[in-house]
Amino acid sequence: MDKKLGVYVCSGCGIGECVDKDKLVQIAREAQQVSVVKTSPAFCLEDVRVIRDDVAKDGVNTVVIAACSPRVNTDVFAFPGATIERVNLREQVAWSHPPGHEETQSLANDALRMGIVRAQKLKLPTPYTEGRERTVLVVGGGVAGLSAALGAAKAGAQVVLVEKEARLGGFAVKLGKQYPKHPPYRDLEDVGVDALVREAESCADIEVLTAAEVEGIGGEPGAFEVSVKRNGEARALRVGTVVWATGWRSVDASELERYGLGTLPNVITNVALEEMARAGKIARPSDGKAVTTVAILQGDGAEDETNIKYGAHVTHLVSLKQATYIRSLIPDSTVYVVYRDMQTPGQYEYFYKRVQEDAGVLFTRARVTGVSSGAAGRVRVDLADSPLGGAVQLEVDLLVLAAGMRPVSSESEGLNLQYLQGKGLPVSRYGFADSNFLCFPYETRRSGIYSAGCVRKPMDLAAAAVDGAAAALKAIQSVEKASAGASVHPRVGDLSYPSFFLQKCTMCGRCSQECPFGAIELTPGKDTPFVVTNRCRRCGVCMGACPVQIISFDDYSVDMVAAMIKAVEVPEGDEEKPRILVLACENDAYPALDMAGINRRELPASLRVVPVRCLGSVNAIMAADAFSRGFDGVLLLGCKPGEDYQCHFIKGSELLTTRMDNVRETLSRLMLEPERAQVMEVAISDFDALPKRLAEFVDTIKAVGPNPMKGF
Amino acid sequence: MPGVARPDLAFTREILGLGAGDLSSCYQCGTCSVVCPISTADNPFPRKEMIWVQWGFRERALANASIWLCHQCATCTAYCPRDAKPASVMAALREASITHYAAPAFMGRALADPRYLPLLLAMPVLIFLALLGWLGHLGSLPQGRIVFSKFIPILYIEGIFVAFMALAMLGALGGGVRYWRAMSRQMGGDGTGPQRALLPTVVTILRHRKFSECASHAPGERRTHKGHLHRTHLAVFYGFLGLVVTTTSVGIGIYAFGYLTPWPLWHPVKLLGNASGLAVIAALAVFAWRRIADGARAGKSTYSDWLFLTVLLLTTLTGFLCQALRLADLQRLAYPMYVVHLVLIFFLLVYIPYSKFAHLVYRTTAMLYAASRAPAAEAR
Repeated sequence: MDKKLGVYVCSGCGIGECVDKDKLVQIAREAQQVSVVKTSPAFCLEDVRVIRDDVAKDGVNTVVIAACSPRVNTDVFAFPGATIERVNLREQVAWSHPPGHEETQSLANDALRMGIVRAQKLKLPTPYTEGRERTVLVVGGGVAGLSAALGAAKAGAQVVLVEKEARLGGFAVKLGKQYPKHPPYRDLEDVGVDALVREAESCADIEVLTAAEVEGIGGEPGAFEVSVKRNGEARALRVGTVVWATGWRSVDASELERYGLGTLPNVITNVALEEMARAGKIARPSDGKAVTTVAILQGDGAEDETNIKYGAHVTHLVSLKQATYIRSLIPDSTVYVVYRDMQTPGQYEYFYKRVQEDAGVLFTRARVTGVSSGAAGRVRVDLADSPLGGAVQLEVDLLVLAAGMRPVSSESEGLNLQYLQGKGLPVSRYGFADSNFLCFPYETRRSGIYSAGCVRKPMDLAAAAVDGAAAALKAIQSVEKASAGASVHPRVGDLSYPSFFLQKCTMCGRCSQECPFGAIELTPGKDTPFVVTNRCRRCGVCMGACPVQIISFDDYSVDMVAAMIKAVEVPEGDEEKPRILVLACENDAYPALDMAGINRRELPASLRVVPVRCLGSVNAIMAADAFSRGFDGVLLLGCKPGEDYQCHFIKGSELLTTRMDNVRETLSRLMLEPERAQVMEVAISDFDALPKRLAEFVDTIKAVGPNPMKGF
Repeated sequence: MPGVARPDLAFTREILGLGAGDLSSCYQCGTCSVVCPISTADNPFPRKEMIWVQWGFRERALANASIWLCHQCATCTAYCPRDAKPASVMAALREASITHYAAPAFMGRALADPRYLPLLLAMPVLIFLALLGWLGHLGSLPQGRIVFSKFIPILYIEGIFVAFMALAMLGALGGGVRYWRAMSRQMGGDGTGPQRALLPTVVTILRHRKFSECASHAPGERRTHKGHLHRTHLAVFYGFLGLVVTTTSVGIGIYAFGYLTPWPLWHPVKLLGNASGLAVIAALAVFAWRRIADGARAGKSTYSDWLFLTVLLLTTLTGFLCQALRLADLQRLAYPMYVVHLVLIFFLLVYIPYSKFAHLVYRTTAMLYAASRAPAAEAR
């Protein structure tokens, strides 16, 4: 289809007072494929009709709107059937630069030129709509899984619930009681999981498969191929999405060896005490004698890092609950609760206070210096650094250890993904399924698979119930998106996906390795890559990875960025007019630039901003292009990489840091100074400090001097 | 190095019952010690006392100078984030320590328990009735102008009070020594004897310096409800001292100069006595009113608080009544009122080592201990 561009230059919101719009109109008229150029004092008001008419009647199929940021007015500037390119003349020009200045005008000119060339290359993506299956598979029949199944069923989905054990209910079945979940948060409550189990079992839309295991999951959101083994028989299922809720286990006994677990018979974990409480008899394991003194150690000191990271905010409350068990079963008992940092978040503080009211429960903050065997089968606990003063010794009949809640590994059981990148879900630093914890907590790094309950983070029954239902809603969203060929978080609704120009592929496999979401597989026997479309989150990390640049999207490619770089007019022989290419991550950095404008902070006029989907999508060749076009510097603005990353695509920023080696190599090949290319971490909240940091970078570049390649 | 911890939860419950029921909500954050004017870096008072009570560490909590060095400014209670009312716990500890160190022990229990109140009152009542019976005044009142010494000669009263006050002094000495020894055991110390500390301590008490120091260290704007304490206690203290001086002067007047009572109202000693009595009554009225008005926020008052307050107030009031009835020449009322007044004085003074009045024994002991034998940091 022939391109027919309409360019619409808006002069509202201060744009007209800041730049010469006639100059912009002239630039637009001189560009290729442009059929109409129009201006308005406010295209977002009734004049939007002008654009709509041009699209509907005059055959304009590519709309370039030079006005406000692409982040705003997306509902107004939506013209079905046309591709839309937004040139940001408001936030990043008029609101952040001095009006009437020569450099401000050339910034606006370049922005329009870049927009027009990008528009010339834009294609309307054709969505992939092969994945239309909507059944929800829930793996794990505990409280989280049951809530997910019921939540999905109530929202109208068909659900298959797979549970490894012969009965539903999960760990909750083994509990005596649960700590209070309702006001006034004082008294223990019944677990009540039976009701949840019965509800799930009697729900017509939930197929319950107990004593069953998932043997394998392949395919993609909207079209997962699942094999479930039950009673020795394998059964094939087709589901649209998966909620993974296989729960937790206590940390290994070896983690708690220092507290005598395994060597002293009267040292037990909180899980063992739960069984005793459920049976109604708390006795010493060594001789079955009734207990009168019990100590509960939180194991939350500095030396317990491996224990506390698995849910101290839950296990502390469990300890309070267990103190209550013991006190109510054995009225003349004394219970010591030893902690380093008591965690009773939110309303549970009331429960803590309630347990404190019982004079038979003695609390102290302390460091445990030793656990040894005491007189008459008792356990001796030595404490130091306690507010009681000096060393304190306890002799107790029973020592209970608050054991951390380690998530069940997806690597060894539960999912068995048939993905090139492995059978499990990639995990974060603490072994939980990795996700952008703040922004999209339920997303895992396998699209369409959602973690819920204690596999996601340690939590109690109430939280797990909410978590399961929430994950179910995300799962339903994902099949809705998949059936329309659209992406889920963070590029929700994006219809584009990568395509491969395979004739030039060197079969290095890097794209399939670096994709944070395991979306790229290799054709068996040929080792050529292909994208499993609905797994893809459209971040473009593959595009950044490919050493021969054969991966592109209909509306985002290395070629497009190269054309935009080329469209910038680089002045020669003026040291006061450097040109710096800014590749700004669309998730945080680009909005931060907008916010600087909204707050009327002045940005350096020498920056030429190209938004990128993720720093991970930046191909080293983009920087090389910029330098060979005479740019004096390249700045990569994006999210924080590493263990506590902020990257919305998890690995993008981190991959860039390794690719920067290639960029520096390019610089040295071009005999340029390494300072010319830099990565700058920006969070969306950094807009205040950002202008100053950018100005400093410009000063650095000025100090280095002009790029000697200018004019070649 | 202490042995295995043996919590005495009966002690915990005892303290909880002495108006310190909110203690259980203490979670050892230490805010109280931050705001407390007498807390130091190596003596986090009253935070450590709070957990000692929670853990039933009776000895450590009671053999402790800090609880008596505290002058109940109640800043801790005002700032406690959990409303555990540390000041009330300290007051309860003081009350418990009076019972704990009482010599003989049964007197301590008797003053702490309302069931023994009739018995405690019966003792002076019976003593004075027996005396009146022996004097033959039970059935007939003396005629003529009212002169109380006609009813009960002063010599007999002196005899009774000297004998019983000697017992009370022994009791006070016994309690003070037991407290001192307990502190020496628990807290240790590396100072010298109390002789050198005596004078400065007495001066401190006379000047009420601790009250003013504590009150002037308020960390912020929160109301402690105890801001009046310095002035009110000063009034009651000097008022009471004035009454003691009055009584002593009257004794000297009678025995040394044969200047018999009643003395005229314009006499300087008489003026001092009346002014002092008024000061005491006014101060006690403030104390009582604040206990009622601020009870919910500043902490509950206990039996022992009210007993002391009531007895002191009634003693002073009946003194005034005696004088008024005498001047009004109402024989039938004046003489019986005089007996009531004597009974109350007996109750007030003879039971000093066991009632809340014992604070003059234990607080002075604690101040002497702190001034003379600063305990080593370790022992605290």
